[in-house]
Amino acid sequence: MNSKLQFLGETGILLSSDLAKYPFLPESAEEIKRLDFKIEDVLEPNYASILDRAEKRIVEALTSNPPEVSYDPSADVNVEILSFPMAIVLASATASDYIKRRYALAEARRAYNLLKIESEEKVIEVAKRFGWRIRLASIEIGLEKFDFALHFIDYLKSATTLFHEKGWKLVNRLVVRGEVYLSKQDVARLLQEEIRRHIELKIDPKMRSLIPEGIIKRADSLKMMYAEKIKEEPLTIEGLASPDIEVNLFPPCVRGLYEAALSGRHIPHIGRFTLTSFLLNIGIDPNFIVDLFRKSADFNERMTRYQIEHIAGQRGSRTKYIPPKCDTLQTHGLCPGMDELCRRIKHPLTYYLRRKRRRVSGA
Amino acid sequence: MAELDNTLFIREMFSKFYSENFNRIEIPKSIENREFGFTLFRENVMIRHKSFSRADDLRDFIKKSVPSNAYYSSAYYNMPEAKMDEKGWLGSDLFFDIDADHIPTKCNKEHDSWICKSCGFKGRGRTPEKCPNCGNEGFEEKTWPCEICLEAAKLETIKLIDILLEDLGFSADEIKCSFSGHRGYHICIESEEVLGLDTFARKEIVDYVTGTGIDVTLHGLNEVRSRGSRIITGPSLGDAGWRGRAARGTYDFLLTATIEDLRSLGLRKDIAIEIIEKREAILESWRGGGPWSVISGLGVKSWEKIILHGLSLQSARVDTVVTVDVHRLIRLPGTLHGKTGLLKVSFPASRIEEFDPLKEAVAFKGGEVKIYVEEAPEFRFGDEVFGPFERQVVALPIQAALFLLCKGAARVVD
Repeated sequence: MNSKLQFLGETGILLSSDLAKYPFLPESAEEIKRLDFKIEDVLEPNYASILDRAEKRIVEALTSNPPEVSYDPSADVNVEILSFPMAIVLASATASDYIKRRYALAEARRAYNLLKIESEEKVIEVAKRFGWRIRLASIEIGLEKFDFALHFIDYLKSATTLFHEKGWKLVNRLVVRGEVYLSKQDVARLLQEEIRRHIELKIDPKMRSLIPEGIIKRADSLKMMYAEKIKEEPLTIEGLASPDIEVNLFPPCVRGLYEAALSGRHIPHIGRFTLTSFLLNIGIDPNFIVDLFRKSADFNERMTRYQIEHIAGQRGSRTKYIPPKCDTLQTHGLCPGMDELCRRIKHPLTYYLRRKRRRVSGA
Repeated sequence: MAELDNTLFIREMFSKFYSENFNRIEIPKSIENREFGFTLFRENVMIRHKSFSRADDLRDFIKKSVPSNAYYSSAYYNMPEAKMDEKGWLGSDLFFDIDADHIPTKCNKEHDSWICKSCGFKGRGRTPEKCPNCGNEGFEEKTWPCEICLEAAKLETIKLIDILLEDLGFSADEIKCSFSGHRGYHICIESEEVLGLDTFARKEIVDYVTGTGIDVTLHGLNEVRSRGSRIITGPSLGDAGWRGRAARGTYDFLLTATIEDLRSLGLRKDIAIEIIEKREAILESWRGGGPWSVISGLGVKSWEKIILHGLSLQSARVDTVVTVDVHRLIRLPGTLHGKTGLLKVSFPASRIEEFDPLKEAVAFKGGEVKIYVEEAPEFRFGDEVFGPFERQVVALPIQAALFLLCKGAARVVD
């Protein structure tokens, strides 16, 4: 897949200190070209600091919680810029899906925190590299102040992972003549998503065969050292048979959440609640559900187990919870659109029970 | 035999129309990337996965095969004739369907009827979810495009067009309107930038136009405390986007609301009475800073209930499933609707107010056909009013006769 980042030519607005903050920008690549820097060079003793910083970027992503790469304004600008593509190479060399997602998130969160306090002009420059149609607005309506106006199509594309939060739903935004009005913090948050996706696309495990041996070694020992932090495959719990999960009988909403959990994609709180309560209600073992969430980038076993047991009614109020109604799921943006059966039911569990009953009686 | 005669007659009329008016069949943009589907009069199955590389091929096909319904995909495919998962999706128009079926109307759909397929139990009005007699879910439905239903659908379309223009910033030229030929309207946007939107983005657009998931505290409704007293602030009538719609919807609602209307929103009786008593003061204060603090007992929670109701009057009730489905088949404009014999006809968005579907969708002028009508309420085409009829033989112009035959309310007599 091609990167959609655009190099806008010499604008003079972004300085090399800015590139140290935002090393994913296309100007950094230009800078690297200008320095005529190649991957192999990094193994030279002179460049040890670059490879060290690259490794540190990934280690920071694995060890901080929530994950975030550090920013030091006094750090050597060239090391900061060059260590970023090197970290991409290193992350690709690990061929670990978990490292890819975790590192992309950590770099994106670093950029978010820097953009939040950046000047409006620079925020716009960064946004334009992602092809956004954005301009300075600075208007006040009621008690709120909006600094930016972003084309609503660009908003929909960048906010796609956030729609489950009611404040990010388009309907809860000020939309005028095709533009969404946003604060600087909002724009920084949306850019975080763009940056995360951009970095995930850049990290390519297939690159491993093209990477010099010395770097592969570094990647492998890094993986070994942090093996405990890397939650790749779901663990199989002894004595627990893999349950018979009939995903094809699930309603479209739960099916989507289940697949998202399997592939380790981010699921909002209400989504996790829906999936967990649904699975518990159809008789799936809580241990299996804990494993299901293991791939998530922010997985915490103790917390996950506690929450699942709470929903199962084994803790706290002892109430056994059922999933939210279709109405509620729609409001939270978790309904991906209804199929024929959905139109006749009001609750995701009814869907499952009907499908199950029909299949049995039709046999 | 009678039914076969009816079908033969309807098919003959459709055939006549297509041979004389094949140029009215509208050719969708990038015809070579669209999937087409048809239903024929003989078999009751849909022929899908057809494609045509040229406009003339499509028109010839329709002229020769005389389908009872013709559809095209809102999606563009690399190989439109391939199986669904091999077609290669390239993008999809942004499409909205407004159908009277989904809108509560004053006629209460008394003109519609249903029969249970399992036990034959029948009734009038909206089809129930389950048969009250045997509990099964399959029904034979007879629906009627009454003027009240059509007017209600038009009103929703007007609201939708306003949101598309004012909020989402589409130009009037981009918004392609058509009457479906039955009980609703279609709006299609083919602009480059919407084509690649995924289901989630389209869901957000649907939620926007229907006001689904709206939180009025994110649209200006707020409680500000200063020096021990509380002031409630809210959106203003002139605000843009949903803020303004929230204020205008609330204003319109309070203008005519009764105590019962307010009580049905879950407000306490004394508050409902106070609102009605102070109605003038509330509406008056809208010209100043807003009415939100006029009644002391009315807090943010109660205002929220009132505003949410006001909002619902401003939202456009579209069929949400259709817009988020990026593989949908859509009736082809310039073709006849098999359930009515009326034309799916396109018109510019700017003409929506004056558009008269029962005039402009008429495909046949004049003529006279004798038919036996089982039962039909009064209906109109253009300036002519027909019926009501009950078990009688009548001579009607072709369009009116064709309409009753398509509806299954009549049969051809020699």
